[in-house]
Amino acid sequence: MTRTGGPARDSARDSARASARDSARASARARLGHGLAGLGGLLALMEAVPRLGLVDERFLPPASRILTTLAGELATPALWIALGETMRGWALGLALAFCAAVVAGVVIGTVPGLRAMTSSTVEFLRPIPSVALVPLATLLFGPSLGSTMLLVVYAAFWQVLIQVLYGVAAVDSVAHDTARTYGLSAWSRVRHLVWPTALPYVMTGLRLAATVAFILAVTAELVIGSPGLGAEIQVAQSSGAVPVVYALIVLAGLVGIAVNAGVRLLERRVLAWHPAVRSEVAA
Amino acid sequence: MLEISALNKAYQSPGRRVEAIRSITLGVGAGELVCVVGPSGCGKTTLLRCVAGLLPASGGEVRLDGVPVTGPPPRMAVVFQEYGRSLFPWMTVRQNVELPLKEKRVPAARRRELVTGSLEAVGLADAADAHPWQLSGGMQQRVAIARAVAYEPQVLLMDEPFAAVDAQTRADLEDLILRLWRDLEVTTLFVTHDIDEAVYLGQRVIVLSSSPTEVMEDLKIDLPPGRDQLTTRSLPRFGELRGHVYRQIQRARGER
Amino acid sequence: MRAVRLLALPALLVLLWWAVSGSSFYLPSPLRVGQAFAETWFSERLTDDVLPSVGRLLMGYAAAGLLGVGLGVPIGSSPRLRATLEPVLEFFRAIPPPVLVPLIMLLAGIDTPMKVLVIVSGCLWPILLNTVEGVRALDEVLADTCRMYGVRGLARLRRLVLPGAAPQIMTGLRQALSIGIILMVISEMFASSSGLGFTIVLFQRQFQIAEMWSGILLLGLLGLGLSALFRRVERRVLSWYYGSGAARA
Repeated sequence: MTRTGGPARDSARDSARASARDSARASARARLGHGLAGLGGLLALMEAVPRLGLVDERFLPPASRILTTLAGELATPALWIALGETMRGWALGLALAFCAAVVAGVVIGTVPGLRAMTSSTVEFLRPIPSVALVPLATLLFGPSLGSTMLLVVYAAFWQVLIQVLYGVAAVDSVAHDTARTYGLSAWSRVRHLVWPTALPYVMTGLRLAATVAFILAVTAELVIGSPGLGAEIQVAQSSGAVPVVYALIVLAGLVGIAVNAGVRLLERRVLAWHPAVRSEVAA
Repeated sequence: MLEISALNKAYQSPGRRVEAIRSITLGVGAGELVCVVGPSGCGKTTLLRCVAGLLPASGGEVRLDGVPVTGPPPRMAVVFQEYGRSLFPWMTVRQNVELPLKEKRVPAARRRELVTGSLEAVGLADAADAHPWQLSGGMQQRVAIARAVAYEPQVLLMDEPFAAVDAQTRADLEDLILRLWRDLEVTTLFVTHDIDEAVYLGQRVIVLSSSPTEVMEDLKIDLPPGRDQLTTRSLPRFGELRGHVYRQIQRARGER
Repeated sequence: MRAVRLLALPALLVLLWWAVSGSSFYLPSPLRVGQAFAETWFSERLTDDVLPSVGRLLMGYAAAGLLGVGLGVPIGSSPRLRATLEPVLEFFRAIPPPVLVPLIMLLAGIDTPMKVLVIVSGCLWPILLNTVEGVRALDEVLADTCRMYGVRGLARLRRLVLPGAAPQIMTGLRQALSIGIILMVISEMFASSSGLGFTIVLFQRQFQIAEMWSGILLLGLLGLGLSALFRRVERRVLSWYYGSGAARA
């Protein structure tokens, strides 16, 4: 854009900028059009493949039937209750993991020596897939919210913790020295220096954790049978209600998108002052 | 050798058309070194990208040896301003210089000769196995120059190649370009925003107006050929020419 | 000194474990778990359950990698194709991969193909979407350089596109690896008669608590080993990337 604009005449620059804005808007419109065409194409394909007999309708119902089934399911209170259970497990588990990880991360990151002491343990525990805890959760809690929470908290905790540790480590040492020279107390150092610096990392951790937490919430329901969306899918599958399985999977995808979008929105809100986000918005 | 006639470039967007280049006509003779200067934002880079065949023109044409340029011509090399981004960070210096030759299917022995020769010519024989990001900015730009030279182009285009290096390095690189140009007799079109640099390097200096761009003046630089940073730059004639170009550019900015 | 720092906390934790292990039926002592580990996994279970599981994981992971990069490069190279497919791909990525298990069981039965397919269906999306993003964001100056010097076709793919997108592709592969391990376990917890996931659930149902813990430990070690391996490969593939400091920017 700068190539066409330049400091020449204000009107020429303005017109170049306006045209850049126009073209950005036009291209956003075009992208939206393409995207809708893509989704329409997917629906058409999923309608045509079973209708033409390429795949047995028993295994892949046409898109229209999946969507009407979904609409029918959404009209039943049972589904909303199940969805509520899933979201409760997700939200509680995420919140618990987030708070624990932030506190642990700030303490480990700011207390001298603690980081080196804990790194081997963190590096060992972090890659343990949380589904390894499925049998333990089953033993301890059975098919209940507790099982969901255990898996969600374990999976989400590490995502946040690692990002908090990165964030605390990113605190500029000069800024740190400055803060010390001016005699800031440990608490106000954390509050005014460490926390703002680490915040973008914390939000990244929250975003990653939110997705993982949702996956694990559904997994716990699916595998252990805790009440929720996953358990509904499992029930539908074992009773042979194929369209319902598809409808619930579509619903799970939509919820997943909503979770992503919600956390991104939150991230933007919280970090509106941060240069990385500002430039992202401008670009 | 290189003929640019009535070149026009406009950026089109729905319901609007922004003219970056109104009309540029200029020629560069075989073995000539021509500098293009103009006020910032005047479409110098657009011009160069059109000449290189990287950007389609909206009107007029560019001919190389009488052949219209529609895409990047095979015997043309470009040195970009962004040296850090024009070198492949995953390749060594040698591999960077060698890649275009491999694509040209130059036999291995000749390839080695060209790579070694060109790296020696830019004073980087020792850095052949380093990665670009291990070198300073000036050295990285030398690598880009070596790559262009090893390619044995008919025409060398340079897009503000020294805009991002410090003044000391810049003077060294200017002299490197003069030496390579003299030794290899390669036709060179050198785009810059630096008036001193244009007058010091060029046999001719083309002064562009601000956007929408036209040629304001095609100035012959009648300085003695054996140029050198100290003596050439202190010649009274150098000062006159520089002052003249400077006034032209001020006029270009004021008019618009 | 370094060793002390590295080992102090783990040692403390194991001691703590030891101290509390007597109090609960669900928490056998470390020694007991260690014994169970040796007895359980250094037996034919290694070849009958563990290796086939890992084999399926690697098979599905590799297939997802090839598919993801193979589709991601053309999609990332064409703005129109990208705009058309991006919402569809984002939707597929947003589906929690485990919910596909019941569906794929329906389509592909409960044998090896199902399990591999489950792993592919979960690993594909992060790889695909990251490849698309990496190819889209290729440096324009480098792309112009390739055009000027006539680097096109396969050479362009090999010299510009793949290495240029490699940092993003590796990010996708890293995300896919952890999803792959989860799916390996889950796919075996459903209607299966062998595999690591099946065995661990079996121990739990039979209240073989020490064996169950040894299985959890094994899964942990597997996750640790694979992620360490991945990090080594990544360091190698992206040595230029870490060297240039681009990773920090």
